[in-house]
Amino acid sequence: MTNTAQQKRRRALLADRPRLSSIVLIYTREMRDQLRDRRTLFTIAILPILLYPLVGMLLLQIAQFTRQHPTTVCVVGRDHLENLPPLLADAESFDEDFVDDAVPTEVVSYTWEDAAAAPGKDHFPNSETSEKQIRRVDSLTSLWVRRGDFDVVLVFPPGFAASASTPMPPDGPPDSSERAELKLLYNVASDQSMVARERVAGILNRWRTGWVRDRLSDSGVDLTVLDPFDVADVNIAPERTRESAFWSKLLPFVMLVWAMTGAFYPAIDLVAGEKERGTLETLLCSPALRSEIVWGKLGAVMTFSMMTAILNAGSMLVTSSLVFKQIGVGPAGMSTMGAPPIGPMLWLLVALVPLSALFSALALAVAAMARSSKEGQYYLMPLMMVTLPLVLLPMLPGTTLSAGTSVIPVTGMFLLVRSLVEGQYVHAMAHLPVVLIVTGVCLLMATRWARRQFESESVLFGGGDQWELNSWVKHLWRDRQTAATPGQAFVCGAIILVALFFGKLVVTKIPETFVGISQLILMPQIGMILAPTLLMATVMTTSLRTSLRLRMPHWTTLPIAVVIGFSLHPTYVMLAQFISSVYPISEQAAAAMKPFTDQISSAPWLSVVFLMALVPSVCEELAFRGFIFGGLVRENGRFRAVVVTAVMFGVSHGVLQQSIAATFMGLLLGWVALRTGSILPCILIHFTNNMLSVSMERVAGSGNAAGNLLLTQTAAGPQYHPLWVVVSLSIAIACLWYVGTLSPAADEQQADRVLEGSQLSDPSASLAPASA
Amino acid sequence: MLAFGEGCAVGTDKTGKIETSHPPKRRFRVIHVQHLIKTYEDLHRGRFVAVDRVSFTVRSGEIFGLLGPNGAGKTTVLRILSTVLAPTSGIATVAGYNVESDAADVRRCIGFVSNNTAIYERMTAWEMVEYFGRLHGMGKDLLRVRLETLFDQLRMNDFRDVPGSKMSTGMRQKVSIARAMVHDPPVLVFDEATLGLDVLVARNLLGVIRTLRDSGKCLIFSTHIMSEVERLCDRIAIMHRGRILDTGTLGELTERHSQDDFEELFFGLLSRHEQNDREEASFAGLSSGPPDGDTDISDASDTHEGATA
Repeated sequence: MTNTAQQKRRRALLADRPRLSSIVLIYTREMRDQLRDRRTLFTIAILPILLYPLVGMLLLQIAQFTRQHPTTVCVVGRDHLENLPPLLADAESFDEDFVDDAVPTEVVSYTWEDAAAAPGKDHFPNSETSEKQIRRVDSLTSLWVRRGDFDVVLVFPPGFAASASTPMPPDGPPDSSERAELKLLYNVASDQSMVARERVAGILNRWRTGWVRDRLSDSGVDLTVLDPFDVADVNIAPERTRESAFWSKLLPFVMLVWAMTGAFYPAIDLVAGEKERGTLETLLCSPALRSEIVWGKLGAVMTFSMMTAILNAGSMLVTSSLVFKQIGVGPAGMSTMGAPPIGPMLWLLVALVPLSALFSALALAVAAMARSSKEGQYYLMPLMMVTLPLVLLPMLPGTTLSAGTSVIPVTGMFLLVRSLVEGQYVHAMAHLPVVLIVTGVCLLMATRWARRQFESESVLFGGGDQWELNSWVKHLWRDRQTAATPGQAFVCGAIILVALFFGKLVVTKIPETFVGISQLILMPQIGMILAPTLLMATVMTTSLRTSLRLRMPHWTTLPIAVVIGFSLHPTYVMLAQFISSVYPISEQAAAAMKPFTDQISSAPWLSVVFLMALVPSVCEELAFRGFIFGGLVRENGRFRAVVVTAVMFGVSHGVLQQSIAATFMGLLLGWVALRTGSILPCILIHFTNNMLSVSMERVAGSGNAAGNLLLTQTAAGPQYHPLWVVVSLSIAIACLWYVGTLSPAADEQQADRVLEGSQLSDPSASLAPASA
Repeated sequence: MLAFGEGCAVGTDKTGKIETSHPPKRRFRVIHVQHLIKTYEDLHRGRFVAVDRVSFTVRSGEIFGLLGPNGAGKTTVLRILSTVLAPTSGIATVAGYNVESDAADVRRCIGFVSNNTAIYERMTAWEMVEYFGRLHGMGKDLLRVRLETLFDQLRMNDFRDVPGSKMSTGMRQKVSIARAMVHDPPVLVFDEATLGLDVLVARNLLGVIRTLRDSGKCLIFSTHIMSEVERLCDRIAIMHRGRILDTGTLGELTERHSQDDFEELFFGLLSRHEQNDREEASFAGLSSGPPDGDTDISDASDTHEGATA
């Protein structure tokens, strides 16, 4: 009997293992099918190959057109320039010393009388005054510039030569009315005009410099007075970095965006589209396992994603190298923009593989939720909005690969590739492990999610009913369970975090009084952490005790928890110090917190313990290790429960340094919560830890004998004796080991099975199929 | 096609004879469903029982009809049999294999045709059937032989290389059947297979089903059209709201309910069932009345009587 049962179990297990042959079969069919679709072929292959060259050609044309359009300058009053150092070579051009040869400039010049004559306007020769003339010239030249007849107009008024040649009187500059100014009219609304202004200003500068030098040498001053020192620009970045800096930013971005887009549309067609057309059920009733179907489709989507990315990026690369070479332009500071270095670009291809897989898995999972192609497109919009910032973030100036940025999925990988492309191998290798781990974890989670979607009957066959608010609310009330569902747990966590975020925005200044401080602490704890938790637990579950995990654990865990709190505190303090050394607190933040820490140190001890230890431990444990944990632990989510509650707990602390320390503490508390099945030990550990943190200063300064044994007062604040740190850590480990041997009194997975205790009891459970 | 009784198909040898791998199991009790229950969590209705303690047996060389209005649970039962859905409780076995623990074996022994199982638009008939044959693990050579035989028998040779989008409804139907039969399963399930077909194609399909039955296959045929059931099925089960109201041959049913007209019999059963439900509901103190979306049988029978009167 046992033999056949064992055999059966083995066969069932083997039957669940995906076979490579099936996966390849499904993959090749999907690929062939997509490639037979003309639209897909066009979008993926033809469009990039045609689009970029066309756009490139267009750019070339535009660049050539604008280049050929020279700057037009009008000089009015050229007759007033006589007897001055020459500005104009003739009526149609500037003196060649001042002009940049590369830029063609058209010059039209008028004498003062010609301009002031203003054809078409009546004037009476007898009543001509210089003011009238000046006004007329002003209005005429303004009109010219506004109309665009000339990009820029230079007006040399009468008396210019006289006032410019006259040296400054020794007692200060004369009144402005006596000093004739040269007017440069331009139009800020016109790009052309702005560029022309720059050029003409340069010409005038050079003219002025030459004039000044002449004056100085005329008065016998040695010209070397003007140039006391030289500046030598030294760019330390190696040649390769200079060339590739532009590419290393743009190319990964383009590739990633196209990898995302290239994954989405095949995913929609392969899942939601097949649901719509009815072919998904055909596949589901075939011998192919669900996992084989997912892997086969995932492979196809990933192939399309990579193909799209490579073809688009490649086409853009080739086109832009050629176009840039033609235009002869590049980012400032570079004279040549050669082809990007090929070797490092290969890193980009390598990095594309996991990122493509990640996007494909996400796209597949999201598309599975849709019932039709149209609905799939609606779901993909939010997905784009979530992933796009991750791709945009590295493009921001100042974002570089560091310990902080390497843990961000997608962004970290992007920055890593950038470092490799720029040739900073050592720096990149240092962060490689973290980036790989983060990417690997995200990939694993995404593929698990995609598989789960394909195993869920409600996803594959569900729907048809419209979602209605009334029905949903009724469903929430009618289908309450003893503990939260994972969905409700996530929603509760999200509500808490969002409420805390907005709460922090509202607080502009740290209050100075103790009452103010109390409010600052109590409000978020009670209003934003405790309130949503209690509300959701009351409304959405049938048992507060179960949903908040207020069970009584094994009696030994309670004193052990207190011991853990005491003995783990030194290690916790060391961890916090380590974190502060890696991410030092900024001076502004420390200064802002000063009134707060002052108040805390001076207030009565019991109030401080109540405020900083009791209230937070109770509220936060009820929320994170109670309601949220109870929801997330269901459906075999033990790992998920511990990790997600720890992350949420960390994020809920505002300051980065606190958040990191809190996340580690959260992991420990989550584990204890899991093994004891209750939040009571967690509350004790949390309370003890916080109490010790706020009491350290007082104990160290109080001169208490026991305190002196364990603590010493140093310049940086009270420190634990190193020996005590080691001893306490061993005690803590022993206690935790003990906790590890426990198993919780209540099986929280039972909450799932509570559902199944329906009124339709199954008498056939013990039946065997009736014999023939 | 060989007569059933030799286990489930694994491959054909050179002469086209199909080889089997397992010794025959339960030769005559081919489909056995006992106390099958399937429940869903539905937003509107809460815990919704789609299949409620359904039990029946089907033998080889028999066409078993599942008759019932829309929403009766027929498709759900058949999806459970073909391992597309998992039952909430109860036992379902196909050719001796349990649908839950031996799902892979069940899929080897069953062919499922539904109006929800469509064909691929961009694959030709040959490619489509070949693809599913390959998924069943059939080798290239024997698959080719099998496909030739199948296409001959079903008279599909003129549209071998026509892609799905260009096929008529009749051709698509044939491709679906070929796809379901490529591995020569002893059990075939047709779920509302005549839905949307014109009369000629539907008649042709029924003919094919009869031929299959005569060659010893075990067939389940679900529909809501009474004439098909009367003409085709050896035994009939009437389903309503997830329950089987009665099972038996046409003769047995008419005798049991003293009603010659099958339609009258059917509607009578349904309305009596609804009546019972309402009484039970009022007993239990819950609000009575049919849930939203269900057809009220009494109204239908009223209009029917009105028409014949």
